[in-house]
Amino acid sequence: MPEIRGKVWKFGDHISGDDGIIDFEIVRAGFGKEPDEAALRAMCFRRLRPEFAANVRDGDIVVGGRNFAHHNHIEVSAALKASGIAAVIADSCDSGFIRRALNFGLPVISCRGITAFVEDNEVIGVDPAEGIIARHDGEQLTFPPFSTRMLDIWRAGGIVPLLREELKMEVSDADHR
Amino acid sequence: MPAQTTVQKIIARAAGRPHVDVGAYVDVRPDYVCFQELYWPIHKANLARIGATRVVAPDRIVMVIDHTTARAMGSIHHETHHDLERFTREHGIRNFFKAGTGLRHLVLTENGFARPGTLIFSDEGNIASIGAVGALNIPISTEVFVGLVRDTNWVQVPETVRIRLDGQLPRGSTARDLIQRILADMTRSGALLQACVEFHGPGTGGLTLDDRQTVLASLFHSGAYTGLMEMDDRAWTYVRERAAGPVFDDRSDPDAEIRSEFAYDLSGIEPMVTPPPEMDAAVPVSEVAGRRIDQATIGSCANNRLDDMRAAAWVLRGRRVAPHVALYVTPGSRSIYAEAAKEGLLTVFAEAGATVLAPGCTTCWGYQGVLSAGERLISTQQFNYHGRNGSREAEVYLAGPAVVAASAVAGEICNPLSLDAPVSEGAA
Repeated sequence: MPEIRGKVWKFGDHISGDDGIIDFEIVRAGFGKEPDEAALRAMCFRRLRPEFAANVRDGDIVVGGRNFAHHNHIEVSAALKASGIAAVIADSCDSGFIRRALNFGLPVISCRGITAFVEDNEVIGVDPAEGIIARHDGEQLTFPPFSTRMLDIWRAGGIVPLLREELKMEVSDADHR
Repeated sequence: MPAQTTVQKIIARAAGRPHVDVGAYVDVRPDYVCFQELYWPIHKANLARIGATRVVAPDRIVMVIDHTTARAMGSIHHETHHDLERFTREHGIRNFFKAGTGLRHLVLTENGFARPGTLIFSDEGNIASIGAVGALNIPISTEVFVGLVRDTNWVQVPETVRIRLDGQLPRGSTARDLIQRILADMTRSGALLQACVEFHGPGTGGLTLDDRQTVLASLFHSGAYTGLMEMDDRAWTYVRERAAGPVFDDRSDPDAEIRSEFAYDLSGIEPMVTPPPEMDAAVPVSEVAGRRIDQATIGSCANNRLDDMRAAAWVLRGRRVAPHVALYVTPGSRSIYAEAAKEGLLTVFAEAGATVLAPGCTTCWGYQGVLSAGERLISTQQFNYHGRNGSREAEVYLAGPAVVAASAVAGEICNPLSLDAPVSEGAA
């Protein structure tokens, strides 16, 4: 059973992160501050799919085309995470986006052919540990599976929660020694 | 064993494996994690949030204060300087370099941290300049704080694009002109996107180590992930004089899988200028020559090494900066500053009417040389977008050090080869 199963929101090629998924104004206003989750959720995809914020459900999956989310500050990842998105799959995207999103606990998968493989609104399964995307008819696409460390970060809900837990364990181990 | 590219071999070693596949996500132990001071308040907040009390591998941390060169009045940065000095002392981080030492790029090469086969996580893509000594830069932005508490992290093995260089740069052209040409040709198509770009061929031999760092430092504007330059005797000599640890002679196997291959003939490279605000819009200097400038700056990780100082001095010797222009020159490190002094280059700059600033990033991010609305700058810096150096209504043109110095003299954008002959010694 894939660990993620959700409904697809499909987008095209060359969608900008800072000036597409969100508006850059929220980045400029927020330098050095914690991301404003409510404002980011309301803003997410509003210029591309105005119905997104009202209709997105926890566990939905975003599918994008080539060079998806190019030029993305961390607020782009925060907006997708705050919208309840369980995974992003794109024909291609930059590794900086994969890092930033994963640090928020959101897996981003670069997988050539995804936009041709799934339809908008279709339910698909995604397994980052096995590197498999599965359609309801049993057809599959494969991608390089996440490393052990990436899976740890994802399952902990991000890099900060993971490190907090790991360091807490180290301290209690030391106490018992 | 399957054939591998240089970048595969470096990542495989850091992963403790004989082989890694292109595209694979692998956990690696970097040789160093390198970062600067501007984001320190954010790193500190993250360390508090995770309850960190100790640094896991202090000898693998290289911390450099390079964006701010002094404890100046009127900013928050002097507190960061103080805080970092205390933090590194308390946690036994020996590789801490105070303001004025120079840029991370040069701290890494000059001290032999960056050496053939090392994998370095850093905060910026322009640190790919260390590929000139066979070291691999993996940019991870603000995630560098993880390196303080964990000695491993993950990386995706990039595809390799090879660029072959032939011939020699003509007189008046510099390595910056070459990389501006490459960015103009290959950014829009995405040809280098997310790739490790490996430069090779006879043309690399004619480039000095400083030239090679210039090319690699600006490569990331194309969307490339990182870059490497084929090692030769000149690079090995530099490395052997400084290596702070083991070195490895990694090179791509002839039958290794690559994405694509391109070639450039250096003899066809002419002086280029990149007008604002896009990075891939470089044109021959003749197309923008004659535009009046207010400021000129030479420095930044793209062009702050000794050869850049020499190229500027080659133009400025016996000439004067135009009265309405301010020219700032920033050597990239304290040792380059000293070498420039020994060669008499600082005297040339002073006599030409230029201002030499302390080693650091300085003018590249508007820390000094701030622009007002309506002003025009020509610079060797990394970016030309609106507002980079102050007012959004100012313009930033990018060029190599010879073009920048010539423009400072002419008071307008100018090809160094079209300047009048320098004033001879002792002339009125």
